[in-house]
Amino acid sequence: MMDAAAIRERFRSRGFLVDDPFATALQLILALDKPLLIEGPAGVGKTESAKVLSEVLETRLIRLQCYEGLDALTALYEWNYPRQMLRIRMTESEDAPLAEREAQIFGEAFLLKRPLLEAITQDQAPVLLIDEVDRADEAFEAFLLEVLAEWQVTIPELGTIRARHKPHVILTSNRTRELSDALRRRCLFFWLPYPTLQEEIAILHARIPGVSEKLAVQIGRAMQVFRAMPLQKAPGVAESLDWAMALMSLHRDHLDGVALEQTIGCVLKVREDHELLDARRQELDQVLDGSRPLDPGGHSLSTDFGFGSVSRPGS
Amino acid sequence: MYPFASLPENLIAFGTVLRHDYGFRVGLRQIHDALRALEIVTIADQRAVRNLWRPILSSTADEATLFDRAFDEFFLQRHGVRLERTVDRGAGDAPAGPHARRGAKRERESTIIDSAIESSLPDRAVDIDDIGDAEDEQEGILRASYSPIAGEAPPPEIGPADPAWQDAALAFVRRVQTALSRRWKPAPRGSRFDLRRTLRSSLHTGGEPLVPRWKARPRLRPRFVMILDGSRSMSPYASAALRSAVAIAAATRNVEAFAFSTELQRITPAIRRAASGRFTRLPHLERAWGGGTGIGTCLRDFLHRYGDRLLSRDAVMIIVSDGLDVGHPDVLRHAMTELRRRSAAVIWLNPLIETLGYEPSSIGMRTAKPSITTLAWVGDPGGLYRLARTARVS
Repeated sequence: MMDAAAIRERFRSRGFLVDDPFATALQLILALDKPLLIEGPAGVGKTESAKVLSEVLETRLIRLQCYEGLDALTALYEWNYPRQMLRIRMTESEDAPLAEREAQIFGEAFLLKRPLLEAITQDQAPVLLIDEVDRADEAFEAFLLEVLAEWQVTIPELGTIRARHKPHVILTSNRTRELSDALRRRCLFFWLPYPTLQEEIAILHARIPGVSEKLAVQIGRAMQVFRAMPLQKAPGVAESLDWAMALMSLHRDHLDGVALEQTIGCVLKVREDHELLDARRQELDQVLDGSRPLDPGGHSLSTDFGFGSVSRPGS
Repeated sequence: MYPFASLPENLIAFGTVLRHDYGFRVGLRQIHDALRALEIVTIADQRAVRNLWRPILSSTADEATLFDRAFDEFFLQRHGVRLERTVDRGAGDAPAGPHARRGAKRERESTIIDSAIESSLPDRAVDIDDIGDAEDEQEGILRASYSPIAGEAPPPEIGPADPAWQDAALAFVRRVQTALSRRWKPAPRGSRFDLRRTLRSSLHTGGEPLVPRWKARPRLRPRFVMILDGSRSMSPYASAALRSAVAIAAATRNVEAFAFSTELQRITPAIRRAASGRFTRLPHLERAWGGGTGIGTCLRDFLHRYGDRLLSRDAVMIIVSDGLDVGHPDVLRHAMTELRRRSAAVIWLNPLIETLGYEPSSIGMRTAKPSITTLAWVGDPGGLYRLARTARVS
């Protein structure tokens, strides 16, 4: 089994930087065979971590995207009823007994596997990503508990299907609603905060190899300032990467007033946030030109502002 | 590094401290996993052990934050744990001095370990998630706590709501109706034809779509967000405020609760525990209880930290405060305007309106009033019934 250092290294080679606590949490998924619930603000890499884990383990990634109104059948399986109806019509004139015709249309050929059933019928344990579980209804969450505990599915017409290999499960949540205690108790938990300045610079270099050091530092510092502001939509790492790409496509190797005006839409996506930045522009300019240092131990570096003052574990 | 010679003893004692002193939801399953996981690290490496246990023993962001402090206090004694008896056995029992303190800590942990091990024996048939409750019932358990203001204003103990409160809360929750959901869902009667389900159900009738299916937009379930003023001026009313919070939490799961004095702190887990029928003490409130009042700054803090995920058109804000704010009115005005803009209703429960001739003329109340949809007070179940009738929710 891979240890935390090996996981960290393999993630790094794929452009995804993880620290020791996160690498250990990922290692625990494999060691304890338990789902990992990752919470954190939007855009910090929760979903991406599952994708990279599947690459590291050289296995399939199966994704269940949760949304309001998602029901058990949509997540498990459905019968291909247009095809069933077609078969019924085609065999109407045959003299086959009813039981035989019924067995035909409720066979595996007419079964549409949805993500959960797909995950438990793989020959190699896949990574099952249950994305944004907080957007699903509480009833679906209760159903999920049962599946995560038993790893078997009963289809009345076919019988019980047991998992050949338990999937490695990652659940993500943006905390749009509180998850139940029961689900939390069954999962490992990891809070993924915004990266520190140094981490953000390292991520920019890892994901965008051509970015200049000056631009990476400026973007990193600007992000720390944005996340310290009471914005309605604080920018995540995804915005930071988009911004760097946008600036590079404009052949900018550093950030100045004009470049900021041209590309700020990559970072701030709510009108009120633009107004707030205009009112506090001086603060950003001072940090960018270095006349005002960032608070090294303050919340601007190690605290998540989107979802609560949570210090980075282990810092 | 470790207080006990045996690893399982250390782990069980640590789990018990997490449960009692920090309000973690740690059961035997988690303890077992934590023990099992030690196989993959070097036990002497405390950083590795800390990283290993954090995802197993904590289950929320708040707990993950508290975990490191609890780990330090238990294994490294960094914060100077203050020991106290939750049930006094007499002041003369405890000798003075640092050695005596270590002795008391040892005694406390031994008691906790004994009770945890005892309650985990298979023939006791104890629910693994309720070990903490079993221990609460035993007399003479020593507990540790750390809080800079713990001696000044300890937060009150809260318990389950009595039936009268529960009925009133249920009436209130049922009465409050928010907007319609944007999504269309299957419904027995609706205004939109559901072709997919109609075709699906036609399988039962040989492919003939005889039974039409419908979709409708259900009403959003309101989310109640309660912000309780725990400052000194509110101390006579704190009990009623907490009771109403527990009663509402017993009537619906869709509740979030916060306490503030000069700082804001989330108390939802404690309120939910009380609503589920367990007596509990609000843990580690520090500057969120028993101090001055900074309503504006605390509401601004709430917007900043929790606004994104809690405020929407299904959110009903309930602020329980006397409105005696010491902060700048502009901060309160801006925060209240934002709260009103981003929620279905802002209900302000002020105990002073029961006073004869009271006018909301304090600076705080004057500033907040334009954003308040309902001003009332709930001191008893009758008050909650009245609020159910008068609350205005858009």
